[in-house]
Amino acid sequence: MSTSNPPAQATTDRPTGRSRRASRSDRLGHGSFGYVFFAPFLVVFVIGIAAPLAYAAYLSLFQDRLVGGNVFVGFDNYTRALGDDLFRAGLWRVTLFLLVQVPVMLGLALLAALAIDSGRLRWPALFRIGIFVPYAVPAVVASLMWGYLYGDRFGLIRQIGDALHVDVPRLLSDSWMLTSIGNVVTWEYVGYNMLILYAALRTVPQELYEAAEMDGAGEFRKAWSIKLPALRPALALTTVFSIIGTFQLFNEPNVLQSLAPDVVSTSYTPNMYAFNLAFNGQQFNYSAAVAVVLGGVTAVVAYAVQVRSMRKEQSL
Amino acid sequence: MTRATSPSRRRLLALVPAAALALSLTACSSDATSPGTADPAAALDTPTTLTFWTWAPNLDKTVAIFEQKYPKIKVNIVNAGQSATEYTKLQTAIKAGSGGPDVAQIEYFALPEFAMSKRLVNLKEYGAAGLEPKFTPSAWSQVAVGDGIYAIPQDTGPMAMFYNKKLLDQLGIEPPKTWAEFETAAIKIKASDPKRFIASFDPGDAGGLDSLLWQAGSRPFQQKDATSVSVNLQDPGAKKVADMWTNLISRKLVDPVPGWTNEWWQSMGSGQYAMWITGAWAPGNIVSTIPDTAKDWRAAPMPQWNAGENVTSENGGSAVAVPSTSKNKAAAAAFAIWLNSDPEAARSLSENGLFPATTKLLGDPAFLEKPLASLGGQQANQVFAASSAGVGKGWGYLPYQVYGNSVFKDTVGQSLATDTNAGLVAWQKRIVDYGTQQGFKVTTP
Repeated sequence: MSTSNPPAQATTDRPTGRSRRASRSDRLGHGSFGYVFFAPFLVVFVIGIAAPLAYAAYLSLFQDRLVGGNVFVGFDNYTRALGDDLFRAGLWRVTLFLLVQVPVMLGLALLAALAIDSGRLRWPALFRIGIFVPYAVPAVVASLMWGYLYGDRFGLIRQIGDALHVDVPRLLSDSWMLTSIGNVVTWEYVGYNMLILYAALRTVPQELYEAAEMDGAGEFRKAWSIKLPALRPALALTTVFSIIGTFQLFNEPNVLQSLAPDVVSTSYTPNMYAFNLAFNGQQFNYSAAVAVVLGGVTAVVAYAVQVRSMRKEQSL
Repeated sequence: MTRATSPSRRRLLALVPAAALALSLTACSSDATSPGTADPAAALDTPTTLTFWTWAPNLDKTVAIFEQKYPKIKVNIVNAGQSATEYTKLQTAIKAGSGGPDVAQIEYFALPEFAMSKRLVNLKEYGAAGLEPKFTPSAWSQVAVGDGIYAIPQDTGPMAMFYNKKLLDQLGIEPPKTWAEFETAAIKIKASDPKRFIASFDPGDAGGLDSLLWQAGSRPFQQKDATSVSVNLQDPGAKKVADMWTNLISRKLVDPVPGWTNEWWQSMGSGQYAMWITGAWAPGNIVSTIPDTAKDWRAAPMPQWNAGENVTSENGGSAVAVPSTSKNKAAAAAFAIWLNSDPEAARSLSENGLFPATTKLLGDPAFLEKPLASLGGQQANQVFAASSAGVGKGWGYLPYQVYGNSVFKDTVGQSLATDTNAGLVAWQKRIVDYGTQQGFKVTTP
């Protein structure tokens, strides 16, 4: 709404050109005309985002029991969610995932972006597309595909290991599952993040590199002193996206569950927990509370990271 | 198939286009009017369109016979998904009051949940009570919830032991008659090749364990009245079963992997699993998924705890119910009754792959002596009928079994190789907590 004029200006305009049209828009208030342009977005926003959120929040204040029916319980569902061991275990699991997988993925994306930008690759476009293609594969398909590769008896990885007489660990076992999921997610999203970082690198003015070369800087020095600082906002953006994505981890573990039901429990990630509460347990109300808490945690962490990176940027 | 968890994907896929077509056809069907009569005979003579949600294979063939007999009734078959998928849709549609079917397939384990929340029509009002003698006692006891009859049994899954005859012959092993012999056979099979197992045990399938508990005399789930249930996964039967399978799994004689996956079928087909102890509905799945080696498989009675006995249980099986939101209750009830109790219909269902729930067919010599092409020509129906006669009495499900089954993998599934009994304790706790949360009075021993 920053485009609407301040009201003071509207009153000074009044004596000049008066038509019926203008007077009608005056009656509505000059700034209100902006709402006409704003309305399509507002309608979609309210129907698509605000209303479902409000409904989830409303649902989370009730309990619909098989015996006793629907009753208002205030914040009972939230108290329960905060003390729920299964929910906490799921949150801890995705936090661990966040701390390991996101740095690895963004590190790889950064390397790939710098490599393409260095201009020393033979077919940079092919390289770029090759890394990006997995992002175009739906997460469910990707997880199924990797699930087959991971298979303990007939999986490709195991068979290659057998052929080379290498002892491949059981990739779908309890101790390896998080790593296996991390591998799928990394495979899917390195290309996407690389593209964001690469786009940011393209905006660095050529003169900076020329000046650096005049000062005798090599490729590594240029990458360290020009490219990395220039990438800071893009890195912050990809980090925030990755944090949100990690807290919402669902498709990959949910698909692998059918291959390892004894490892991937119904509460493996907070999102899976909310889903199973609602659709297996008919506990829509508690599920809504879990979802609201999860949304809150995600927002707080993402915001903290953003604020921190913005501060750093300003201090430069 | 009517198994609780894993679908036969191939069959499911084949049904998708049909379901989509049926869906588009039924979009405006349930408005067809019918007079408010409770008389099934009159209802069958009134032009009506019924929507029928089911995932059982080839049901259109039996429905065609019905439509021929009662030309005024049109039945639209819709595949609204298998098991839990269908139940979620059904719960939602019934809650919303519209968009649901007139007739729906519901497995026995999920039936109390729907019946108790008054989401199904009590078919006693439509004369179902008189049908009791037509069905096996175990099938009938599973549709009689409280003092109502909430569905008509469609098929059952009396347990049997399917075994790879070629492999056992090669190793010189007789099909085990008791669980003790089962262990001896397991050791021999392992000794022949470390990659072989006597069987697998699905850590995600509550129904599989339920059948074993049922046979061992355990009765973990009992509903006392509308608001109170009892849970006991720690009775002697349960402990016996838990100890046996922990022993077999921890010694790597039994493979604790999920069934119905690509890998699992490959292991079945390549002789890495020698046996599959499950419901009588299995032959159809064996022949359709591993056609090359299906001829090697035979059926034998389920191993016994005490030599010479015939105590069995069931696995899977479905009934057909009328949701309370149906606008054509009388016609729907009449259809459900005809479909599952008429001798001609029962025979047609059986010919199309469902194992019968009616005593008449189970005692029919033509049925018993029929060689099953899917089991190398064996007259396996005799094995299944004997199993059906030996099903232990008094088994029940919780009014929230769908949830209970869903957390099986979180508890028992994770402890199979270490301490199945500890898993049972954890499972019981989750079931009790949920029940209490839902307002039930839950008692444990």
